[in-house]
Amino acid sequence: MVNELREAAGKLLDDGKVDLVIGWAKGSLPLASTPVFISSSDEADQLVFDSTCGNNLTVYFTKDNKKISRDRKKVGIFVKGCDSRSLVLNITEKQLKREDVTIIGVPCSGVIDTRKVRRKAEGREVLEYSQDGDTVTIKGKEFELSVPLEELLSNACLSCLRKDAEEYDLFIGEPRKFSGESDPYSDIEEYENLSADERWERMNEEYSKCIRCYACRNVCPSCYCNVCFVDQNDPQWIGKTPEITDTMIFHIIRNLHIAGRCVECGACERACPMDIRLLYLNRKVAKEVRERFGSDTGTDLDQKPAMADFREDENQDFIMG
Amino acid sequence: MIRIKKENISGFIEGLMSDYVLFAPVKDGETVSFRKIESADSIAEDYMNTDKSPKDIFFPPAEVLFSFDSGEITKNECSEKPFAVWGLRGCDVKSLTLLNMVFGTARQNPEDEMFQDPYWKEKYDNALIIQTACNDPRSTCFCNWFGGSPHDGEKADILVIYIGDAYLLDPKSDKGRKYLETVKNTEPAAKKDIKEAERLRAEADSSLSAVFELDGIVGRMSGLFNSGVWEEIGAKCVNCGACAFICPTCHCFDVQDEGKGKKGKRIRIWDTCMFPVFTAEASGHNPRELSKDRLRQRFMHKYSYFMENYGEHLCTGCGRCVVVCPVNLDIREVAKKVMSYQS
Repeated sequence: MVNELREAAGKLLDDGKVDLVIGWAKGSLPLASTPVFISSSDEADQLVFDSTCGNNLTVYFTKDNKKISRDRKKVGIFVKGCDSRSLVLNITEKQLKREDVTIIGVPCSGVIDTRKVRRKAEGREVLEYSQDGDTVTIKGKEFELSVPLEELLSNACLSCLRKDAEEYDLFIGEPRKFSGESDPYSDIEEYENLSADERWERMNEEYSKCIRCYACRNVCPSCYCNVCFVDQNDPQWIGKTPEITDTMIFHIIRNLHIAGRCVECGACERACPMDIRLLYLNRKVAKEVRERFGSDTGTDLDQKPAMADFREDENQDFIMG
Repeated sequence: MIRIKKENISGFIEGLMSDYVLFAPVKDGETVSFRKIESADSIAEDYMNTDKSPKDIFFPPAEVLFSFDSGEITKNECSEKPFAVWGLRGCDVKSLTLLNMVFGTARQNPEDEMFQDPYWKEKYDNALIIQTACNDPRSTCFCNWFGGSPHDGEKADILVIYIGDAYLLDPKSDKGRKYLETVKNTEPAAKKDIKEAERLRAEADSSLSAVFELDGIVGRMSGLFNSGVWEEIGAKCVNCGACAFICPTCHCFDVQDEGKGKKGKRIRIWDTCMFPVFTAEASGHNPRELSKDRLRQRFMHKYSYFMENYGEHLCTGCGRCVVVCPVNLDIREVAKKVMSYQS
């Protein structure tokens, strides 16, 4: 597959269809890939795709401080299923034009959460990572383990039903069609069944770990406000300390701001240096949006995001009358 | 050098807890951080280094400097007992000495109190710094680039070497020596213990990757200030602050007042050059508008400006940023790229 994706990128560049291809390359650590920007077919041999490619590369279109979003016109981008939904969302939100991007889908079997790998290795450093089908082999100084990929997958991937891109120009291999099955949200069942007090306690536990580095926000393609509410300082909107009252406000507001706009890619949770379970709330809100508005974020270029749309047949019980 | 049997180390830790406010690595889910501890049992054992650096012990992420109420100002009081830190690695001990160059003394005039930060000094000056030698450095460790080595404890008060069935405690300062004289149930280290410590030291030293020479990087970085290298390095950076906030040496901060009416408090809060508001001006102009401008500042502060101002690099090779960066922007590769870049 790697050869096919390198050839596809090279051909797009050689044919002048794109000026730049955004993909993943091998990273400097065994468990990390790294985003790469290829502008000539000679460089295409850097491209890879495997279960370490967790970055949602769509983020490079929506951050306004990036050269790429300022002066590149024709861009090719490799996408997993979730990444393609981010692109669709960003297109419906007029952040880029469909014709300006060449979408190349890759078959995704889920991406790993490096902390789950660390847990398997019981604190020992992982020096080699390789994957053969559904089995992963991790090696360190004096150990070698074979682990089913599923046990290492990011929480977001465990419940993913649309693994492959549905909106694309090229696909490497054969995309799997969405089965139409509905998400049981079994991963948040335990959280949902807690009492309000217990849920509050759980959120306190999670968000008290926050160090306000904003890695979650900055890797999220749906977070692209020119000035984020946490950066509003004239006057200042919210407190900036890592005390729980301030971190809670940051996370809850960010969460509500991406309601109906979160594609549940899990990039935020994987980026968090403090191991915060951000998906409890993201998935809960996504579930509410799905149930109330029947909206599947980022799956339809002609549909506005749920919170930006109004339909007469929507549930309006909450309006007093 | 003294020896404490493995089973007796909790007694030593308890002694520390009665004399000091003791901080040590504690496991919290999948991460390990320095916390104030109340019991020897809560200390994490199977960690190479903490996920968060120990800088927050002496330079908290949000520190109340003083409170005010209708013109009355009350300074925030520090703890009565001095601090002790157990389980620091050599890279982190060095980082505290670098921070002390900023907060503890003034470069031109070390005695001038005007340039001394009382909040830092009252915690750091009296602290007992206990370092644990690294027997098993990680592949992301590069302290040797900056003259460090896994067992080098010269900047600590006490160096602790774990040799399997016992801990060897080696005093490295007068403060450390005096404290160890008060400790009971110890025995002098035997010759074979010292030999084992030497073996572990040699093994740890040889497990590090080769040193990458940074000679001349200050000049190279200055020469490349306006070059395209920063756009190349920074293309993938998403400008979060994960690297800066887990870094043991990044120390920029913002000062804010929180309050209502005439009552409130003044707080010092961690900040980072990675964030746009760090340099946003009241006019709306931002001199570091682009991602690459902010990233350049961070790396130049590490490997150029601090060396020019203080004669040291503002990096100790702990490797934390290498591990946490969400886009795998590896600081070691940045240094190599800068040194080899042809503009």
